Amino acid sequence: MKSTGPCALIEIQELTRVYPAAIPVRALDGVTVAIPEGCFLGISGSSGSGKSTLLNIVGGLDRPTSGQVTVESRRISDLGSDDLACYRREQVGMVFQSFNLIPAYTAMENVALPLLFAGIARSERIRRAEEALNAVGLASRRDHRPAELSGGEQQRVAIARALINKPKVLLADEPTGNLDTTTSAQILRTLADLNTVGLTVLMISHEERLLREFAHAIVRLRDGRVIEYESIR
Amino acid sequence: MRIADHVHQSLNNLWKKKLRTFLTAAGVVIGIAALFSMLAFGKGMQKNVLDRFVRLELFRYITVFGPSEGPRGPRARRFRDHQSPPTAPPLTDERLAEIANIPGVEAVFPEVRFPAVVRHEEAERFCLVQELSPEIVASGLVAFRTGGPYTHDDPNAVIVSDSLLRDLGFTDPEAAVGKPLTVATIRVDAGLLNPLNIATALTGAALPFGQEEHTFTIAGVAERMGIGMGMVRSDVLIPAGTAARMKTVSVTHLSDLFKSTDLSGAYSAAAIRLTSTTHLDSVKAVLREWGYGTFALADEVDQIETAFLLMDMFLAAIGMIALLVASLGIVNTMVMATLERYREIGIMKAVGARNSDVRRIFFFESGAIGLLGGLFGVLFGWLASLLINDIVNYYLAAKGVSRTNYFTFPLWLWLASIIFAIAVSLAAGVYPAIRAAKTDPIKALRHD
Repeated sequence: MKSTGPCALIEIQELTRVYPAAIPVRALDGVTVAIPEGCFLGISGSSGSGKSTLLNIVGGLDRPTSGQVTVESRRISDLGSDDLACYRREQVGMVFQSFNLIPAYTAMENVALPLLFAGIARSERIRRAEEALNAVGLASRRDHRPAELSGGEQQRVAIARALINKPKVLLADEPTGNLDTTTSAQILRTLADLNTVGLTVLMISHEERLLREFAHAIVRLRDGRVIEYESIR
Repeated sequence: MRIADHVHQSLNNLWKKKLRTFLTAAGVVIGIAALFSMLAFGKGMQKNVLDRFVRLELFRYITVFGPSEGPRGPRARRFRDHQSPPTAPPLTDERLAEIANIPGVEAVFPEVRFPAVVRHEEAERFCLVQELSPEIVASGLVAFRTGGPYTHDDPNAVIVSDSLLRDLGFTDPEAAVGKPLTVATIRVDAGLLNPLNIATALTGAALPFGQEEHTFTIAGVAERMGIGMGMVRSDVLIPAGTAARMKTVSVTHLSDLFKSTDLSGAYSAAAIRLTSTTHLDSVKAVLREWGYGTFALADEVDQIETAFLLMDMFLAAIGMIALLVASLGIVNTMVMATLERYREIGIMKAVGARNSDVRRIFFFESGAIGLLGGLFGVLFGWLASLLINDIVNYYLAAKGVSRTNYFTFPLWLWLASIIFAIAVSLAAGVYPAIRAAKTDPIKALRHD
């Protein structure tokens, strides 16, 4: 799994991210990881270890100070602003701990949001959003706003939104952090099912037990460095 | 993002904040309404003046001046640049006949005015009486409130202005038509011209002048006098030739007493009516060749339009103040929106919105406020203008002024006002839109 061979879908090489401050904060310090296609990679580490920074850079939300990230042979750390937006929209999907749904939009409008920015016609957006909601079992809640949904339902809406453009990679930053144990298990089962059909999943979690149950490998970070790469299955 | 989606989303977002949208757009409505009304008023005034000039065929007239002895009085200052030099030949009847024969000249009307006291019952007023041919009176230069012009067959008819009529105690102009009016003129009293009386006059005790009264019948009441390049400049008009049978002293200014005796029997000015405005330059060229100074209103159109342009700019500047305040309201609203929707902007960027998408979202919202403000602004401005027009007309009707449309609403003014509202709103949205587009998605997603 930790190979840097040509078959890796995501290659992270010597990735460093320093946040400028009076005393600069080195969030990532020379991280190198290769993630093959179809892998379910767990990322763990204590608070401030650099997990979210790593995921944000792979997701195209942040840029590294040095080093590079290559996804499907495309060096995303060199992409311009518009190309990076296109990458976020079409090649990766992101799921967050706090769901990050727009409160004023219905479930369907939230799911269809990436398609809106892709310039897809309204009728097509509705069709595909309904399809995605149906896939996560929320077809009947399409017209409900986030406040009218449970935490688990909101996270499933977020997963549907992340998958609406059929990306190859799903990045999940503590997706079960705000959920109870039962709902967490349901969400992880959903992610595992998606992984089974070929989706590459990178998931951050504090819960070692959950990662060990679903992930193929776990990367452990401390102070911005990879301290362990454990293959599980 | 598609344009249709931008429009839908901007209207949707504005609808969600109805009160704020209403208050922000209300500022634009007031600003555009003020601007629209001000310019409509400016254009209305311009149209009224130029239409009146055209209706009265004033562009067909040239005023030719007799030899000048230097500027005197307000009228002289006005026409200073057009006056004839002192060496110009006198404007005698023979000369006027020659002018009438210039190709393109339809008629020539000499200016004859004399001082008189006009009486009706106990009331009397001092004024200048002017001879005016029936053709000019009937041409439209005189706007009648009631009655009508006199004819050549009616030498005892008189036309008076409605303002003089009120001064003479008439309350109903229509009732004045057909009523007698006494015109008392100054004449040289032969009895006072013996050497003894002249000596008395020289000491200032008495002047060799007496009064002579003539009775006229009011044929018409004119609304306004004093237009037409000075062709109609008196409150009392009598038919041409009438002054000759009245023993009058044609002294309208003290300096007339110092005039050369060579000019006796000559007119100070004459109005020339052309067959059409196309002859304006050729007739003026002949008159200039003969040594006369002339004045034609047609030559002043550019200056008139420039004056109106300045007035429009002044009125627009007043209207712009309200719009400037409104634009600050838009900036405030949109900045508030970027702060309130900070996390939402982060989410949009996280799922693939480009900076330009975010920028356009806010541009469309500010543009939509401008469109709404512009549409309702011109509507409100139009209704307010109609109301003001009615109020002013109602007030002036009581003073005997006929109804006038003081506002004009050309199509371009409607369109330009709406486009301007959108442009100002878009300009006001530039800073908030750029600010929103620069949002760091990571910071925004962490924001509560």
